[in-house]
Amino acid sequence: MPEMRAVAVTCDMVSAYGSGVDACWRGLQSGHSAIRRFERFSMTSMSTQKAAFVPGLNPDGDETLVMQMLRPLVQRNASLIPADSFLVLATTNGEIDILERAVLEGTPPADGSRPERLLRKVELLCGLTHPGMVICAACASSSAAVAQGAAMIRDGERDCVLVVACDNVSEFVAAGFSSLMALDEDMARPFDKNRRGLSLGEAAAYMLLMSEQRASRERRPVLAEISGWGLTGDANHITGPARDGSGLAAAVRQALQSAGLPGERVGSISAHGTGTVYNDSMEMRAFKSVFEGRSLPTYSLKGAIGHTMGTAGLVDIIVALRGLAERVVPPTVNLRDVDNEARGWASPEARSCDSDVALSTNSGFGGINCAVVLRRWDPD
Amino acid sequence: MRCGVEKMGSRLTLPGMSVITGIGWITGTEYGCVMKKVRQPYADVGSLRSSLERESVFSYPAKRFGKYDLASQLTCGVAALALYDAGVSYSEDRRQDIGILGTSSDGCLQSNVDFFRDFVANGRTRGRAGLFVYTLPSIPIAEAAIYLKLQGPLLYLGFSREQISSLLTRADKIITRGESPAMLAVKASEEDALCFVVRREGDVSTQTALRLETLLDIAQQTSAVDEMVLALFGHVTW
Repeated sequence: MPEMRAVAVTCDMVSAYGSGVDACWRGLQSGHSAIRRFERFSMTSMSTQKAAFVPGLNPDGDETLVMQMLRPLVQRNASLIPADSFLVLATTNGEIDILERAVLEGTPPADGSRPERLLRKVELLCGLTHPGMVICAACASSSAAVAQGAAMIRDGERDCVLVVACDNVSEFVAAGFSSLMALDEDMARPFDKNRRGLSLGEAAAYMLLMSEQRASRERRPVLAEISGWGLTGDANHITGPARDGSGLAAAVRQALQSAGLPGERVGSISAHGTGTVYNDSMEMRAFKSVFEGRSLPTYSLKGAIGHTMGTAGLVDIIVALRGLAERVVPPTVNLRDVDNEARGWASPEARSCDSDVALSTNSGFGGINCAVVLRRWDPD
Repeated sequence: MRCGVEKMGSRLTLPGMSVITGIGWITGTEYGCVMKKVRQPYADVGSLRSSLERESVFSYPAKRFGKYDLASQLTCGVAALALYDAGVSYSEDRRQDIGILGTSSDGCLQSNVDFFRDFVANGRTRGRAGLFVYTLPSIPIAEAAIYLKLQGPLLYLGFSREQISSLLTRADKIITRGESPAMLAVKASEEDALCFVVRREGDVSTQTALRLETLLDIAQQTSAVDEMVLALFGHVTW
C-alpha cells in the first residue's frame, strides 16, 4: 500500500495569552510574557509566585480545570471534528485537581484522576464513536501524540486522528517542581546566559490530522504536512537530560530520515527551551551536532506562556505551523542576554524565514526525546 | 486454543508481523519466564530483587532499585525477565536500540497520592522530590530503560479496554514502520507485571518465538496479568 501523507487540517488552543491561535501569535509578537503573579492557590511556600495561567478558570467550578479549558475549545470547533476521528489524548497529569480534592477533602475518589477516565470524557465531549488512546511521555506527550497520529495515517491504519492535549497549573505540580528546585523565581528565560529554571504554564489544544486523500475529498484547507518524526530515550537519568544531547540528536536524525529530507532543508527550530541550565544546553549541543556548520533560527515559547507540560509539544507545533504560514520565526520572549551556546541561534526578536520546513523538538523526564518535522503544504 | 511456539522459518508467517521472543511476568507471589519455563515464588520485593540478581536476570547491580516506587520495581524486574527469556543480554556500558511501551490499569495513581499526601502532611509547604519524580505514568518504563540501557522509543499508552492487545499492536506498528528493530511491551502496576519482547520477524529465523497474532487472540480475551500467564502456560507447546 502506498504511504499516505499526514496533513494538519485544523487546530486551536487556549493559553495564558487567551483563547485562540491568533491570541497566542499576537502575544508572542508583542514580546510581552504572559507569566505573572499567580493567585489561584497559595504559592508562598513555593520557589516562585508566578506562573502563566489561563484567565477565568474556576478552581471551585463544577468541572476540572482541564475540562474548563477543553469544553469551550471543542464546542467552538465541533463542526470541524468528524465523529470517526481516532482520539489521541496527551497529558502528564490530566485531572489532577480530582486527586488534590480527594486527598484534601476525602472526596471524590482519587481514581477519578486517572488519564483513562479523562480519555473517556474527551471522547464524549468530541462526540467520537471509537475508543482512543492516551499518551503520557512526560513533557514530550503531545509531540509524541502528533507523531503517533501521523504514523497511523501514513500506515493507512486511520485517515483521521484528533490530537488533544491539556495540562493545568496545579498545587501538585508547583510543589513538585519546587521540590526539584527547577523553577525560576521570576520568569523563565530560555537560552539566556542567566537562566535559572522554568516557569509553569497551562494550556489546552487540539489538532486534527487527516490523510491527504480524505482532506481533499472533504475539501479541507491544509495547514501543513507532518512529514517526519523521531522518538528516542536517553537511557541516562530520570530527571536530567543526557548532557551531550546525543539522544535528542538521534531523534532529530530519525525525524529527518522519516521525512525523507536532508538537514539543509530545515529553516527553523521550535525548541523545548525550558529555561533550565541543563535542558537548554543539551538542546544546543544536539542541534549543533545535527546541523553542523549552520546556525538556525531557534526559539522557545516557554518564556512567554510557561512550560505547559503535556500540552507543550502540540502548542509548539501549532505555533510553528503559523510561523511557516507567515514566514516568520517567533521571538524567544524573556531572552535578554543570549548564552554563548545559543548565539546566532536564539533571539529575542522575531525573524523572517522563507524555508518551508520547520523542526519541533521536546524532551521530558525519563530521558524521552521527540522530534517532528513540519512542512508547508505543497500538494505536489 | 493452543498457540504454537515454533522455530521461525519452519512455517509461513504473515509479512510485516512481529514475533514475541520472550515473556516475563510477576504476580503477587511468583515470577517467571514463559519461553524458558521458569516459575519461582518470592516473598516480597526485596527477595524478588535478590533472586533476580542471584539468577543473573539482573546482569549488573540495580543500584537505584531500592529508591524506585513499587511500580518501577516491578516494571524493571519484569523487563529484565523478558529480556532474559528472549536471550537478549544487556550491560551498563552499552546502549541498545530497543524501545519500551508501557500501560497500566491505574497510571501512577498511588505514586500521585503518596506525593500529595506527604506534601499535605508537611503543611503544604514542602514536597519531596524523591516522591514527585514518580508522578508520571511513563516513569516506571523510563527507570527500566535507564537500567537496561534501552534507547529506543519510550511511551506510556493508556487504553480504556484491551490494554495488552492494544499495546502489542502499537509495538508491532513501531517495528514494522522501521522505527525500532525491537520493543518491550509492559503492562505493570503495583500488584503485577507482564512484559513481552517484540521483534521483527526477519530477525529471529532460528529462535523460538510466538506469533504475535496468536498472542493477540489470547490478549483480547483478558488483560489481567495472572489470567494471561495461566493462558500462556496452559497453551504454549514445544
